[in-house]
Amino acid sequence: MAEPILKVNSVTKCFGGLTAVDDVSFSVEKGEIVGLIGPNGAGKTTLFNVISGYYAPTKGSVIFQGNDISGKPPYDLAGVGIGRTFQVVKPFAGLTVLENVTIASFLKHPKKADAERHAWQVLETTGLADRANVSAAGLTLAGRKRLEISKALALEPSFLLLDEVVAGLNPTEADRTVELIMKLKAQGLTILIVEHIMRVIMNISDRLVVLNFGKKIAEGTPSEVSSDPHVVQAYFGEEAA
Amino acid sequence: MKNRGATILAIIGAALLILPLVVHDTFVLRVLTEGVMWIGLAIAFDVIAGYTGYLNFGHGAFFGIGAYTIGILMMQANLPFWAALPAGGVAAAIVALIAGIPTLRLKGAYFAIATWALSRAIQQLALNVEFTGGPDGMRLEAFLNPQFFYYLMLITVGGTFAILWYLLERAPFGLKLKAIREDEEGAKALGLNPTKLKMQSFILSALPTGILGGIYAYWITFIDPSSTLGDLVSDQAVVMVVFGGMGTLFGPALGAILIFAFKTIFWAYLSDFQLLYLIILGALIAISVIFIPNGLWGTMVKRKAGAARPQQNAEPVSEPAALSAVAAPEEGN
Ligand SMILES: Nc1ncnc2c1ncn2[C@@H]1O[C@H](COP(=O)(O)OP(=O)(O)O)[C@@H](O)[C@H]1O
Ligand SMILES: [Mg+2]
Repeated sequence: MAEPILKVNSVTKCFGGLTAVDDVSFSVEKGEIVGLIGPNGAGKTTLFNVISGYYAPTKGSVIFQGNDISGKPPYDLAGVGIGRTFQVVKPFAGLTVLENVTIASFLKHPKKADAERHAWQVLETTGLADRANVSAAGLTLAGRKRLEISKALALEPSFLLLDEVVAGLNPTEADRTVELIMKLKAQGLTILIVEHIMRVIMNISDRLVVLNFGKKIAEGTPSEVSSDPHVVQAYFGEEAA
Repeated sequence: MKNRGATILAIIGAALLILPLVVHDTFVLRVLTEGVMWIGLAIAFDVIAGYTGYLNFGHGAFFGIGAYTIGILMMQANLPFWAALPAGGVAAAIVALIAGIPTLRLKGAYFAIATWALSRAIQQLALNVEFTGGPDGMRLEAFLNPQFFYYLMLITVGGTFAILWYLLERAPFGLKLKAIREDEEGAKALGLNPTKLKMQSFILSALPTGILGGIYAYWITFIDPSSTLGDLVSDQAVVMVVFGGMGTLFGPALGAILIFAFKTIFWAYLSDFQLLYLIILGALIAISVIFIPNGLWGTMVKRKAGAARPQQNAEPVSEPAALSAVAAPEEGN
């Protein structure tokens, strides 16, 4: 088997006394969509922050394309091919949608005209081109989530971390985002995705990793995981197990 | 629109260039020289304050450091003005580098307070060491040529404006600074290093300010801690930039012209009412912050639309698949 694109090795992340991520290991193969699920507070976003360089792991390491990236800053990781979105969206509110995306396009297109052209292409792909010249502050939640994806994609990453980009959207918007994600997979992108909506995550993921209280409690295909008693218990409580 | 703007700029530029040939009144020329200087101070201030979002209440320190560097190099090291002048900018830039390391970690009001305190400390230093002349200040060798100073100020500020225009409005740098201003954490995910960008911005703000301080020192021929290292430059720059429009170059330039004109007229005719001047200035700022938060320029000029949408060179997302979220990967592409 080829070298996995991402290897998470016994990663632990503590905040003071709280262990938000507890000795988690898994890997992601090139071209896969891996779903990361678990109840609220399970440590999914924290793990994303470790992988994307926002937090250094307290213990353990993160290997990306064979290199140890633990503790490297996010701006360096963007440069090696890791793109991410934020669950709590981070639009540059005072700038236009196009400017927001152009800033990300600078990474691979240092000339402004090239970056703008590239940003337009990204916006066409993500369906935001019609809103390109409005202020990012004027977007709906669906628009902002789409902007998050657009900015991550404008980095031309090889690996994408999506943190709840579907949650909060209406079914039509949700379908469009799912369709976009599948299209990105078809283009060869590797994706690690956090999502609460089971219908979505079960359908698009090749494999799932399940966290609960910071620990990995299961890993496998969606059907394996959904019949795992630990998972059923974590999601539905004692009596269901 | 763009061509008309360029034409207007060219006319203003040409008018400013031939002005001294027409106007021989030295008072008028002095006022114009100072007005041009304030444009330079305001746009330089706006690099860090407006574009980057860090309100520097110690901007005046860069001006004073430039002034003192030129004064000391000319009077104590006997360097000619042209050799001393670049050193004024470099000295201000070095201080920005050193001061920026601790202060640029701070956010919002904390940065404003820290930079204000640092500039007070620098003023105290100048008051208490010998090579600055202490509270008595320093007298420079006089060079009485109003035309020379007018043109030097004009060229320096014009050049600063052109360079800042290129870096902030044409090159990627300006948008990157705005990303830092809008959301530092979010900017990191897009490959931007906030520490580095903020430092570059701070230095870019300090360098021309130091040079302008140096020209000012040679022009006025007398500097002391209260006139060149006091609050005046920082306070005026804040007012001009906020009133004119932060995060633009024309806004601060317009703010500088209007505020400086108001000040000059007021002091010429109502010099007995200096307190009133400060009250009016304060009220003006309060009103502009409340009613025109984007400043005059930001309110007058609608944001320019970005680059035009190119012909569909990427395939748009097709309409949402009707029912199922089980979207099959698309063929091809
Ligand atoms: N910066 C932080 N400081 C302290 N505690 C945090 C921080 N970020 C997350 N946590 C805590 O870590 C746990 C995991 O949070 P998070 O990773 O956001 O969970 P999830 O994304 O799975 O809902 C929670 O108990 C949360 O309160
Ligand atoms: Mg989360």
